[in-house]
Amino acid sequence: MTDATTEQTSRFDDVSLQSLGTHAVLYGVALLMAIPYLYTISRSFQPRRYLTDPQPYWIPPEITFDHYQYLLTESLFVQWTINTFVIAGGATIIILVIDSMIAFSLTRLDWPGQSIVMGVILASFMVPYYMNIVPLYTVVSDLGLVNSYLGVILPAVASPLGVFLLYQFFRDIPDEYEEAARLDGFSTFQIYYRIVLPLARPILASLALFMFVYNWNAFLWPLIVLSDEAAYTLPIGLVNLYQGNITTPGLHMAVTVLASLPLFIVYLFFQGEIVRAVQIQGTGTTG
Amino acid sequence: MGLRNRFTTGENERAQQTVFGVRKETVEGIAWSLPYLAVFSVFLIWPALKGFYMSLHNWDPFVPSESEFIGLENYIELFNDPVFWDAMKGTIYFVALSVPLLVLLGLGLALGVNKNVKGKTVLRAIYFSPYILTVAVVTLIWSEVYSEGYGLINYYLGFVMSDPPGWLTSTNLAMPALAFMTVWWLVGFNFVIFLAARQGVPERLYEAARLDGASTWRAFKDVTLPQMRNSILFVVIIQFILQFQVFAQPFVLTSGGPRGSTDTLVYYLYRSAFSQHQYGYGAAIGYVLVMILVVIALINFKVIGTND
Repeated sequence: MTDATTEQTSRFDDVSLQSLGTHAVLYGVALLMAIPYLYTISRSFQPRRYLTDPQPYWIPPEITFDHYQYLLTESLFVQWTINTFVIAGGATIIILVIDSMIAFSLTRLDWPGQSIVMGVILASFMVPYYMNIVPLYTVVSDLGLVNSYLGVILPAVASPLGVFLLYQFFRDIPDEYEEAARLDGFSTFQIYYRIVLPLARPILASLALFMFVYNWNAFLWPLIVLSDEAAYTLPIGLVNLYQGNITTPGLHMAVTVLASLPLFIVYLFFQGEIVRAVQIQGTGTTG
Repeated sequence: MGLRNRFTTGENERAQQTVFGVRKETVEGIAWSLPYLAVFSVFLIWPALKGFYMSLHNWDPFVPSESEFIGLENYIELFNDPVFWDAMKGTIYFVALSVPLLVLLGLGLALGVNKNVKGKTVLRAIYFSPYILTVAVVTLIWSEVYSEGYGLINYYLGFVMSDPPGWLTSTNLAMPALAFMTVWWLVGFNFVIFLAARQGVPERLYEAARLDGASTWRAFKDVTLPQMRNSILFVVIIQFILQFQVFAQPFVLTSGGPRGSTDTLVYYLYRSAFSQHQYGYGAAIGYVLVMILVVIALINFKVIGTND
């Protein structure tokens, strides 16, 4: 064996050792991150006597659906799910419509004052959401929207994030498309509806998913606005179950599984779009 | 914005059309902006201004017009309020624990997955997935993991320790426990942003570094870090702003306890306004919070943004 080949093999061993180490660390972290899930799912099917045993059971010796049955029949879980759907879905639809309208107006139409409007919207990014909750509550209360869907939806719709993302995208659509359409006699609405929106479909899809997940998960604002148990969203309802008198760990675990299930299904189907929405946010706000 | 060619005849004709003497495009532009601007003004701008007004009053939630103007008294009271300072300390401690871990772990995982690793899609899905959970679900899951009696961690710790600690009942451990749970929940967001940024670095820069005989560490320091600076700045600022507003974790899991060790600014704001009905005082906490966040953002820009 010559020196050159020994050196090559040892370098090869180095690389594969390093790669082995990388794999071990990455998969180790992944396993640690998955453990809380797996444990939760397992416990949601366990009868009470196993849950109070200090020894954890990863594979339940006995399976029960009691916790799920209780939630679906004895609690307001179904009502909370409907509320959350209406709020997250409603907010998402309104955001898509009015954000795309103003982004269209700011990028494709020419009118005095639009740079001031965009400046104010950009500056509002500096307003942390939580700072506003006290005065916002008095506004929503003055408008008679406490305990209502609109009281949760409208403040969520005021978020400037969607305007900002769509503004950046619409701005980069080439003028030629629009000019050709104008020559063909398209009205402003037709240009918006038949040219700009179809071109922006990927970013609209990403924004929609991101906003749906965000509003599905919203916590502090619904907690403040919704005081009637029947009006709760899922996050508020399940905390209420937790802090209430029903201290059965199995029930808590079942409620977390049920409350997360719709989002996990959405995530499985639209993983790419949700991840892309997060990434657009990350690249868009600094670039 | 207004920087567009107007050569075609269609555009010229359009520009001359008027409605009641106003250019048609101006009318259209305002009409198309109006729905968002209405919601934006009523539910974002107006509350932001009203909050400042409220913070200068001893606000009467039942008869707002009877509220007494007290100037800066809410702010002065705040600075002499020990609960406020405890909440401030708690918040800073939480941020100091969570933000560095969130950034470094996110960066480490992104750089690791970017290498030639098998099963990238599975890893990416696992790292990102907790991020889509609501904070309420996250705290419920971890209440089981941390539990003293039948918790997962303490069961296994029991093999090596005779008396495992109460994670959420010890004044020393409760805040770190909340921070660790938060890292588990949110690290996927940073991971995904860093991964995209790393993939955007041109491979030829690494080839050039390799030709120059640069070590892995040098390549990381001279290529990866400067190229990813914008994303790192974004993630650091976003995480500071988000983690400074921590609320649900102490609210659900510890109620600020034990003995105030997990109290935070937003949780105190919430209690002042919505439990004690001191709206003016709550609004003042909100304004102090904004000022802190603006200062943090500026410091971040200075430290990371201009450092070549």
